[in-house]
Amino acid sequence: MTTPENQKPLNNLFILIALAVVFCLVPLVTQEAYFLHICILALLFGALASSWNLINGYAGIFTFGHQAFFGLGAYGSALMSMRLGLSPWLTMWAAGLMSAALGLVISLPVLRIRSIPHIAIVTLAFAEIVRIVCSNLTDFTRGELGLWGIPPFTSFLLPLVGDVTFDAAHKVAYFYVVILLWLLIVGATYWILRSRFGFGLRAIRDSQIAAESLGVHLTRYKTLVFGFSSFLAGILGAFYAHYVLILTPSSALGIDIMIQIVAMTLIGGIGRLLGPTIGAFILTLGLEWLRGFGEYRMLIYGVLLVLIVMFLPKGLASMRLGFLRRQTTGKIPT
Amino acid sequence: MLSMPLPLFFEQIINGIVLGSMYALVASGLTLIWGTMRMLNFAHGEFYMLGGYFFFLLISSLGFSAALAIPIAISLVFVVGLAVQRIAVHPLLGRPQWEFSTLVATLGVSIFLQNAALHIWGERFKTVPYFINGTIDIVGMRLSYQRLLILAVAVIAMLAMWYLLRRTRFGMALRATAMDRDAAMLYGVNVYRVFTMTFGIAAALAGLAATMLSSINSISPWMGAPLMLKGFVVVVLGGLGSFPGAILGGIIIGIVETLGVITWSSQWREVISFTVLILILWFRPWGIFGVKES
Amino acid sequence: MSRLELNRVSAFYGDAQALFDIDLVVEPGEIVAIIGSNGAGKTTVLRTISGLVKPREGTLRYDGRDIAAAQPWSVVASGIAHVPEGRRLFREMSVQENLMMGAYHRNNAADGKTDLERVYTLFPRLAERRDQLAGTMSGGEQQMAAIGRALMARPRLLLLDEPSLGLAPKIIETVFDTIREINAEGVGIILVEQSAQLALETAGRAYLMENGRVVKTGSSSDLMTDDAVREAYLGL
Repeated sequence: MTTPENQKPLNNLFILIALAVVFCLVPLVTQEAYFLHICILALLFGALASSWNLINGYAGIFTFGHQAFFGLGAYGSALMSMRLGLSPWLTMWAAGLMSAALGLVISLPVLRIRSIPHIAIVTLAFAEIVRIVCSNLTDFTRGELGLWGIPPFTSFLLPLVGDVTFDAAHKVAYFYVVILLWLLIVGATYWILRSRFGFGLRAIRDSQIAAESLGVHLTRYKTLVFGFSSFLAGILGAFYAHYVLILTPSSALGIDIMIQIVAMTLIGGIGRLLGPTIGAFILTLGLEWLRGFGEYRMLIYGVLLVLIVMFLPKGLASMRLGFLRRQTTGKIPT
Repeated sequence: MLSMPLPLFFEQIINGIVLGSMYALVASGLTLIWGTMRMLNFAHGEFYMLGGYFFFLLISSLGFSAALAIPIAISLVFVVGLAVQRIAVHPLLGRPQWEFSTLVATLGVSIFLQNAALHIWGERFKTVPYFINGTIDIVGMRLSYQRLLILAVAVIAMLAMWYLLRRTRFGMALRATAMDRDAAMLYGVNVYRVFTMTFGIAAALAGLAATMLSSINSISPWMGAPLMLKGFVVVVLGGLGSFPGAILGGIIIGIVETLGVITWSSQWREVISFTVLILILWFRPWGIFGVKES
Repeated sequence: MSRLELNRVSAFYGDAQALFDIDLVVEPGEIVAIIGSNGAGKTTVLRTISGLVKPREGTLRYDGRDIAAAQPWSVVASGIAHVPEGRRLFREMSVQENLMMGAYHRNNAADGKTDLERVYTLFPRLAERRDQLAGTMSGGEQQMAAIGRALMARPRLLLLDEPSLGLAPKIIETVFDTIREINAEGVGIILVEQSAQLALETAGRAYLMENGRVVKTGSSSDLMTDDAVREAYLGL
């Protein structure tokens, strides 16, 4: 087991913190709403793809229904804040727990299956059930007409900084929240990988049989990682709901979200700490840059997926880290 | 459902069988691909979608008769299937993690084809007229000729497939490849050619189903995805890799759906079949009719 | 010209090297045994010859032609038939279908029928079971069917991987009698066997493999009297 995470933990932590600092400095340079919006989406999807990477990249379980947890978090938090009048700051965590609970339920059949294609089918079918139920319960969710009137995050007073307000015109506050969420998720991934738990996860990915013989409790590990990953996706969904303020089943629960997650993770590097984030920025910024191709976005995603698995199966992060490693192997004995 | 008059009930059963026979065509392609290559084809729904569009264009733009348009549309989809296998799947086979990468690659193809169709043919749903009009009354059941024709075509297609698999040299090679890839290679089977042909045949079966259903369901860029998922439900029910299982599974799902829609509302149709899918994989991962692999 | 000639052949499974500089020669019509313990690389040598594994280095000549890059389906067409370890029959095909698969590469139904009769004469038991599914037969019958399937390919060189594996002593005797009979018709044979005793009794020459290398070679009688071989492989 010689993954880069094992070999150069400090290096990764350093890059992570440096990136967070750089992100925090962005609003000092520009507060242009559209640019911040793109950055918020990139970080949101980077974090979402990272939470999926935890199951797929590290535990090696290819699930195809992550959008269900994201969408459930979004609808859950939106509906709780609307119907119960609770603050989004509270409902966000409650929605995360809802998603986690659902993740634990779906982990039950997944735990019994080892074939990669079967797991993909089960999780996809599950996510489709969630989407269809959501769009059929029109009394509750308004279906495809869209759930609107979702309250934004409540404003608060931060000492030294002043009023922090959340509305369409004030993207800076959202931007800092999403940086925090991103740091929370990638940081948690980092911490998990360094722990005994993370060692067990990667053992599962590399060989289920070997992991079992090493005493890794497969069922418990998979269940935990499923629940945790779903929890993170739920929180991100809640953030999304209180940011865009309108939800439809196809935008919050559609398979397009899953496709973006897969494309971003694969481009950046599956099973790499920062791979999903790198992929999210490349795809989000890159496709915005090619604005003229906006309507061909999904077409490009499709071609990209084929090209990546064919020519760059380990993603861009592997190239970069491979380069760094070559530089450092002479100096640091491992 | 219980209060339904008996002839109407049997009429619905027959409608279910008609629908199910088309699911069986789609599913048997998935199961052939799984059986020979041990991979899932996420682009299968798009083969179905392309079949529908090719058929529509041949009929409405070129003015072909259905009898001529069907074989041409199927042949075109067959070629698309060959191309997809050669371009997106073949280079990945035998590489590390090919199970995962073929899944992602066919997913990429699916997204590409779906959006290409959207850009080329637009969002508007297309329909083609019935091939034959009229109904026939048999012991109180009213059945349309169109549906009976679909059933007849399905039976002929299944018999042709059975003949191909059991009685031809290529069928022997395909079955041998499915049972033991190495042994098939050792005895002269170019398995890569078998893989490519299997994709083409599977695509053609999906295309045939699309031409048949195009007069009942409408044609759109998104028509493939739900049918692919339905196909997965059917093959999982029948046991992945089993050809008779796909037929039986298709018919069962067709009947259950047709009766279910009468009992509940049609918007819950997919929820029912996907729930069935999860439950089967949960408790009998080798399928209802499949045999547990050791 | 030798029938088969391997010259400094190296092969890998992924990054793991399985064969190191293998030199091996088979003359027309002889039986050559490869002996050695489990994991020594015996099976890999056969898989390399039949094209399932591609050698990374070295040359592989069959009747003087380079076949190192050939695919398995063209190797069998050139006259090498491989009976893999564990028989590897097509389990859900009948015995007769399995045999006909052996003749697949020739694509000639009439020839196939003639050869079928020949195999049934050689193995009368298979004739009785022609319509039975191969997967449901006993180990010995499966081994006969596997050899029969290989003969249907009309080989000039037969690769046999562990033909005695899992068979009762009496059946082993029958199978090996048939192997000698086939050889008597001029078919060259490479016999991979874990049972060194059996292999050396059957073959004229033998190669001893350890850890992916050929460590000893010579006539069977020489190897049988070699002290190291006697101790490690013959249990004497």
